Amino acid sequence: MNLLEAESPTYIYGLIKADTVLPDGLTGLGPSGQVSTIVHGRVAAVVSDVPLDRPLGMRADLVAHEGVLDTLAARGAVVPMRFPAVVEEHAVVDELLAPNQDHFVELLDSLEGRAQFTLTGRYEQDAVLREVLVGDEEIRALREKIRELPEDASYYDRVRLGELVVHALEQRREGEGAVIVEKLEPFAEAAVSNQLGAPDEVVNVAFLVERDRQEEFENAVEGVGEELVGRVRLRLLGPVAPYDFVPEG
Amino acid sequence: MTQRGGGGGGGYVERAPGGGSSSLADVVALILDKGLVIDVFVRVSLVGIEILTIDARIVVASVDTYLRFAEATNRLDLYEKGGKDLPGLVQGITEGGAKGKTTGVLEAAAEKVNDILANSREQRSEEPRRRPVRQRVRESEE
Repeated sequence: MNLLEAESPTYIYGLIKADTVLPDGLTGLGPSGQVSTIVHGRVAAVVSDVPLDRPLGMRADLVAHEGVLDTLAARGAVVPMRFPAVVEEHAVVDELLAPNQDHFVELLDSLEGRAQFTLTGRYEQDAVLREVLVGDEEIRALREKIRELPEDASYYDRVRLGELVVHALEQRREGEGAVIVEKLEPFAEAAVSNQLGAPDEVVNVAFLVERDRQEEFENAVEGVGEELVGRVRLRLLGPVAPYDFVPEG
Repeated sequence: MTQRGGGGGGGYVERAPGGGSSSLADVVALILDKGLVIDVFVRVSLVGIEILTIDARIVVASVDTYLRFAEATNRLDLYEKGGKDLPGLVQGITEGGAKGKTTGVLEAAAEKVNDILANSREQRSEEPRRRPVRQRVRESEE
C-alpha cells in the first residue's frame, strides 16, 4: 500500500474479498506498473497509480484493466469496476468501501466460484446467403434483374437487394440465436445477451458458469458448434472476469 | 491469441483466452460500459479524465453494408454454375416483412454516445483538477 501516496489519484480495477491474496505478476496501468489493495473490513479494492501525463484509454490501459481482472477472477470472486474508474485521492477509496461493505460482500459471494464466458457466432456467409436466396422469391428476382443490367445502372437495385438480404439475415438470426442460448443455459447460472452488430452476427451472449461445471459447459458449446458446423462459426472467449454480471447501479 | 479446440473439445469452436491476452476488439467489447459504476455509490471527485468510447459492437447498417451483402449474394452465381444447385435447402426458412432494424441500431448508437458525453459532463462538473482530455477508443480490427 505504501506505493500509493494518500493524495495521489488512484485507479480502481475492481473489488475482491479482503482475504483474497493478490497473485504475482499483475501489471497495472500506472507508471509504477504495480497493483495493490486497499482493504476495508471484509472487502478490498484492487488499485494502482495512474498515468497523469496522458489521457487514459490507450490500448495498453484497456488490456491492463482486463488483464488484472481476469487474473484475479481465476483466483476468486471479483467485481469489475467500469473502465476507467479513477478517484482523485487514495482516501476516497475508503469512502467507497465503508458504506457499501455489506452490499459488496453479497455481490462477491454471488460470484464466488463462477467465471464468465462470452460466446459469439457468425454465419458462414455463403451457406446462409444461399438459404436466404432459396427462401425468398423477391430476392431471387431482384438478383436476376441485376444480372442483366450493367453495373452502373443497377446501383439502386443492388442497394435494395442488400437491404432485403440484411433484413432476412437479421430475421433469421433472432430465432437461431435464441435456440443456441436455450441449449447452453442449462449449463450456466445466468446468461446476458449483448447487442448484435454486423448482420451476419448470430449470437453474442455472456454466460456465468460455475467453475466446477466449466468443462461441462465447454463441451456443450462444442456440441452446439458441431451441430452448426458449415452454417455458423462459434467463438468462445473466456474464462474472464464477470463483466456482464455486475448489477447496473 | 486464438486457438482451435481447447477445453477438451473437438475443435468446432474457436477459443480465445482472457487475461489481457485478448485482441483489442475482444477487450473493447468485453470491458467498455461494463462493471460497477463508482459514483452511484459514493460522491467522488473523479480526476478530470474524459473518455469518449465508441461501442465497437454497434455497426450501423449503411448503404455500404447493403452493397457488401448484395455483392456477396450476387457472387453465389458461381456456385450455381458449378452445378451445386439450390434445392433441398428450403426447410425452416421464415420470411416476412422486413422490419427496419436499422433505425433501432442508429438510435442505440446515438444513445450510447450521448450517455457517455453526459457522463463525461457530470464528471467534469465535479471540479476536475486536470484538464479534460477527449479520448477515443476504436476498434482496430475489422
